[in-house]
Amino acid sequence: MIKVNTEDFPWHPGMTVRALLDEKLFTFRHIIVRVNGEFVPEEDYEKQLIQDGDDVLVLHLMAGG
Amino acid sequence: MKVLTHKQELCTGCRECELACSRTYFKTDDRNYSAIRIIENNKTYRANKCTQCGECIDMCTANAIYRDRNGVVRIDKKKCVGCLGCVGFCTELVMFYADDLDVPFKCIACDVCSRACPEGALEVLVSRVKEN
Amino acid sequence: MGTILKDYSYTPAKVKRGYSGKSLYINVSDLSIEQKEITDFMKEKFTGGKGFDLWYLWHAVTPETRWDSPENEIVMSVGPIGGITQYAGTGKTLVCSISPLTDMPIDSNVGGYFGPLLKFSGWDAFELQGKSEKEILIFIDGNNGRIQIEEAEDLPEDAHLLAEELTKKYAENEDDMVNISVVCTGSVAKHAYMGMLNFSFYDPRRKVCRFKQAARGGLGTILHDKKVKALVVKYRGVKPNLNDAADISTINKVGVKYHKEMHDLDHKQNKMRQIGTANTIMIMSQYDLLPTRNFQMGGDPETVKISPQVFIEEWLTQGLHDGCWYGCTMSCAKCADHFLLTTGPYAGQRVTVDGPEYECAAGLGANLGVFDPQAILEENFYCDTYGIDLISFATCTAFIMECYQRGQITREQMGGLDLRFGNSQAVLELMHLMSRGEGFGKIAGLGIRKLKKVFVEEFGADPQLLQDIGMEVKGLEYSEYAHKESLAQQGGFAMAIKGPQHDEAWLIFMDMVNKQLPTFEDKANALYYFPMFRTWFGLVGLCKLPWNDIVPADNYKTDSPAKVPEHVQNYVDLFNAVTGRNIDKEELIIQSERVYQFQRVFNVRMGKGERKDDYAPYRSLGPVTREEYLSRQELYDKQLRDFQQLDPETMDLDEKIAATRRYREDQYEQLMDAVYRRRGWTENGIPTPERLKEIGMDLPELLEVIEPKL
Repeated sequence: MIKVNTEDFPWHPGMTVRALLDEKLFTFRHIIVRVNGEFVPEEDYEKQLIQDGDDVLVLHLMAGG
Repeated sequence: MKVLTHKQELCTGCRECELACSRTYFKTDDRNYSAIRIIENNKTYRANKCTQCGECIDMCTANAIYRDRNGVVRIDKKKCVGCLGCVGFCTELVMFYADDLDVPFKCIACDVCSRACPEGALEVLVSRVKEN
Repeated sequence: MGTILKDYSYTPAKVKRGYSGKSLYINVSDLSIEQKEITDFMKEKFTGGKGFDLWYLWHAVTPETRWDSPENEIVMSVGPIGGITQYAGTGKTLVCSISPLTDMPIDSNVGGYFGPLLKFSGWDAFELQGKSEKEILIFIDGNNGRIQIEEAEDLPEDAHLLAEELTKKYAENEDDMVNISVVCTGSVAKHAYMGMLNFSFYDPRRKVCRFKQAARGGLGTILHDKKVKALVVKYRGVKPNLNDAADISTINKVGVKYHKEMHDLDHKQNKMRQIGTANTIMIMSQYDLLPTRNFQMGGDPETVKISPQVFIEEWLTQGLHDGCWYGCTMSCAKCADHFLLTTGPYAGQRVTVDGPEYECAAGLGANLGVFDPQAILEENFYCDTYGIDLISFATCTAFIMECYQRGQITREQMGGLDLRFGNSQAVLELMHLMSRGEGFGKIAGLGIRKLKKVFVEEFGADPQLLQDIGMEVKGLEYSEYAHKESLAQQGGFAMAIKGPQHDEAWLIFMDMVNKQLPTFEDKANALYYFPMFRTWFGLVGLCKLPWNDIVPADNYKTDSPAKVPEHVQNYVDLFNAVTGRNIDKEELIIQSERVYQFQRVFNVRMGKGERKDDYAPYRSLGPVTREEYLSRQELYDKQLRDFQQLDPETMDLDEKIAATRRYREDQYEQLMDAVYRRRGWTENGIPTPERLKEIGMDLPELLEVIEPKL
């Protein structure tokens, strides 16, 4: 199990940041990802693995409307 | 179309071109009023000036920029409201402004600087290719 | 053309540090014209824009004044930054009046050239009071210092024709047309409470008049009631420093930096320059936020048919400047050129359609079950030229459609109109009927609050169901975001001061997706900061979009990316550079709060502005119907377990719906308590004298209104 934006989310081996975004249906492009507080640049989404127990923040940058 | 060209290998960085430009158009020796800017990089000199690409024409928020009969991109001072949008949008960074002027300024391939260049590094070329 | 009824000369005041120092008062009952001084008191307490509007409106009306009382005013003002050309979104006018939908002040923020040209003609604000006997138009010539009131009996009613005729009439030649701006409504204003005001600007590339709208709250209906066909201003000679800014150098520097940001980043971010605000349609649908079929659902697989890509590739002209004031490199006012109309009085003609903006594509599209870009554009065109507030129309029509589909009203009661979800032809027919004031078109424009009464009392509809699904608060229809899963946004809408519009706060991602607002206090803080911050745009003459529809490349590194700190600093710098004052970002919030609290007290004075007025219909808070519950059963069941320790396995569907409702309504009550505390209001929603004193707004006339309520 991992935390995504403070809530539990099931983890599986080999889960990349990209895979997590796809599973969460986070399609909005203008986001910031932090894993255990560390910023992950967009070019690393495919390769960066998420470990069991990680705390992931996916901040959607829109306060618009 | 007319466009000012610069031969780097001939340029000595004397900046007579900048002075010729600012004196002609704004009666000043202040190079911040020149539409050509010589940039030094390790003893070689690059000239920043308009390539007449015309990307500023359609984005102009006052419909004040146009291409004249010679293919030169020009600002209609009567229509321009000094929004400086073109300054921020110029990919070559060659649309210039000054705080005491109501409109920005740019190279119009007029030949003043090339005539002032002692090394013959600047030349206004005329091509028959029409753009836009 | 018409006989001149009044010819008035004045010496246009020169703008100094963002203010002309004068406001114009015209009473159309007796055609009297006065000049008033903008005092230092007004500048200090109210800043400009909406602040000036509300101050004048307060003194014009009484608690008994209604929208059609002669003393009601339409007041407009552009604010001190308004009219600068070097930054994006700097031409916004704020318009206020007592609304036919809410019976209290409405405010609407509008682009187009009228406000800036009015200020350069010498007027920081303009009050229009009284009621004319004959139809008239008012022409302000800012170069020559002249105001003419003339008869306007035989002018066209619809905006695209009227604005073109008046622009041509007052322009000396084609180049002069950009110097003219027309304010008018359209033929619907006569028959509906949701008539809006069009503000024109001439597009020299397309050679047509284009429009932005002061849409909310029935301002067009009021203009029509005053028998004012149009306001026209003409000012030739817009230049970069007509505001007489204290520090033009800073304005230039901040402006160029911003333009460069737009050039470098917009195509990687929101694509405002390609599609405008409708860029978010697909995203909203994917995150369950796109109001669909009267806010029942938050999206639909069919949304792909009205995706941004479809509009960009098939409908919207690309690559031309589309700003509604000079210098707006965000250029979001897109349009569909050579659009062929297929219905109504202009069928067969090709026109330029301004839009669609997000609210249009969402409201007239998904919320009506219409997933057809061509139909949306046709609806968009007719809303604009008929002078209909498309947000109120869309939300109101979605309500009518659901009432019909749930058997609450019949096709016969709608005069035969088959207003099923998705039937765009019926929607267009309804607009045409409204424009002519015929059949069901006569009552459909009353707005949801009055329609609920009609449907219950005359058609025997179920009052509780209508209360739950009628998306209005304070009498104003909701704007187009589904938000059942964001408590903060529920408050953002229902506690918004003029009625449920997202221009005060859009907290859905922060709250629902990012989970950045876990406690009531967090939500209340956001419902303090964002409404105050966003109020400020309307005080100074700015558009909200350039604030956060593009952000600097390193915005993510800041402490509070949602606030876009660098852009906030740009605004502080611009305000100081224009006015010569020295505010900081904290003082900016206080400037807003002074006006915000004033407006709340104004509501109280009109018999509103209390806790009872801040409740949301249950459709806003949670699932009203079985279908809604079942569509997200997994989520709602989990919430029953997690939040209420209930076992959904042992409950039937109606019990689960009822338990969810009790919980969510209680959450909303707790949110109200927290927000009221944060805003310095009593439990009943009344601003306290202590809070007013802290921000320098303990004015005797305000204290007199709130004291009996404490």
